[in-house]
Amino acid sequence: MIPAQFDYLAPTTVEEALAALGEHGDEAKILAGGQSLLPVLRMRLNAPEVVIDLGKIDSLRGIRDDGDAIVIGAMTPHSVVEHDPLVEEHAGLIHLAVEHLADVQIRHRGTFGGALAHADPAGDLGAPALALGAQFVIQGPGGTRTVEADDFFVDLFETAIGEDEILTAVRVPKHTGWGSCYEKFVRVAHQWSIVAVAATVRMEGDTIAEARIGLTNMGSTALRARASEAALVGQPATEEGVAAAAAVAAEGTNPPSDLNGESAYRAHLATVLVRRAVLNAAGA
Amino acid sequence: MDLTHRFTVPTGVEETWAHFQDIASVAECFPGATVSSVEGVTFQGSCKVKLGPIALVYNGSGTFVEKDETAHTFVVDAKGKDKRGNGTAGAMVTCTMEDNAGATDVVVVTDLAITGKPAQFGRGVMQDVSDKLLGQFVMCLEKRLSPDETPVEVPAAEPAIDVSTSEGAASLEGSTAGKHSAPTPITSAPSAPRPVPAQEDDALDLGAAVLPILLKGYWKQGAIGLLVLAIIIKLVRRR
Repeated sequence: MIPAQFDYLAPTTVEEALAALGEHGDEAKILAGGQSLLPVLRMRLNAPEVVIDLGKIDSLRGIRDDGDAIVIGAMTPHSVVEHDPLVEEHAGLIHLAVEHLADVQIRHRGTFGGALAHADPAGDLGAPALALGAQFVIQGPGGTRTVEADDFFVDLFETAIGEDEILTAVRVPKHTGWGSCYEKFVRVAHQWSIVAVAATVRMEGDTIAEARIGLTNMGSTALRARASEAALVGQPATEEGVAAAAAVAAEGTNPPSDLNGESAYRAHLATVLVRRAVLNAAGA
Repeated sequence: MDLTHRFTVPTGVEETWAHFQDIASVAECFPGATVSSVEGVTFQGSCKVKLGPIALVYNGSGTFVEKDETAHTFVVDAKGKDKRGNGTAGAMVTCTMEDNAGATDVVVVTDLAITGKPAQFGRGVMQDVSDKLLGQFVMCLEKRLSPDETPVEVPAAEPAIDVSTSEGAASLEGSTAGKHSAPTPITSAPSAPRPVPAQEDDALDLGAAVLPILLKGYWKQGAIGLLVLAIIIKLVRRR
């Protein structure tokens, strides 16, 4: 099917985009890479009257070094993020996760900010964003504000971005030297994961000094495995050392049941993947 | 799928029962719902439901199919069809009121049935989403039934959710409304039975969806196979 008729706007600045959004409100939809929106439009699961394409706004693209963090423009395609040296060095977990994201074609059209704003709990970027403590820069008619990752993912497909606001960039604090691993458990390549774990650890010799773990598809949003994170501090990077922490990985989660697996299966899977991810990240 | 919600209002059973007789006002409490007309025990209206990039508008009607004054129970049967042909939504809501020492315990049991195009976004979160929708509905009902409140001028599409009204009195089951005490209008809250097929749906849709795909993919092999088989049979028969 083709989308229902809509008016297409392509502003060249963020201010223009915000003005258009303010003017059309509920009847407008923002188009970033279109990898989530266009299928919806084509299936006519939504028919906004106006589509505001952010593709011509150059200021939203690009990755730069900002001292203690790297800043990724919201309209930066996944493929650019995947091959960027800054991301690989300072936010290794994102580099690893993006490699698993969908397929090459989708990575060339889909955008970093778009995927995060879509906030699919099974999307690959949510867990790394939580694990790295990313900060979301959101611009609206009232100005610009920053939202911490822990507060950004509100609910299923819902983020802290207001109706009249646009995500402009994502600030990722540098985690240079941290070990990272993204364990994605999926039955069909390119699909959303059944469960995925994004783990990043700071090592002190053979001991885990600090661990941050994000969980994909274990609830209505990406979640942090806080119980596991706490239990890992001071543990040696061995099977025995990590076992207890991995066993509590599903605490505080509410995994869905669907054709790919029951809730209990996912909970168990999370413990297995956390164990693997942490050991790999620690270089064991 | 059956979903149950309970809450308690400080007014007596009779008064609470009387409040529920206003069908239009009850229907308006459903998030994203607009009532266009009321005729006797039937109301017509639409309900706009949004979840992320998906937005559906169900047009339909609801009827009070049962009303038992003595037992203080009523049943509303609501059915709607997505205006762009993306399926249907049906809800059979049974509401029972019981006296609880001057206050009223209200139990709302909903049998929800969603049909239609299985969405790629579906991941078995139907329960949570429907629960939330109902939680909002129930909170709104509760708010309307609370005696110490001025008649709420609620624009049909945006019933306000005020978590603070439920202090003390309510015990909502499965309500995750706490997160939504911020000023997000309901129509944009994640509340869509739409994108996720119900369990029954999966079974139905798989059959409807997979068979054509199989045929489309393998008809050539199938045809050749049949042809070869036919030739073999003919050869064998000739001998």
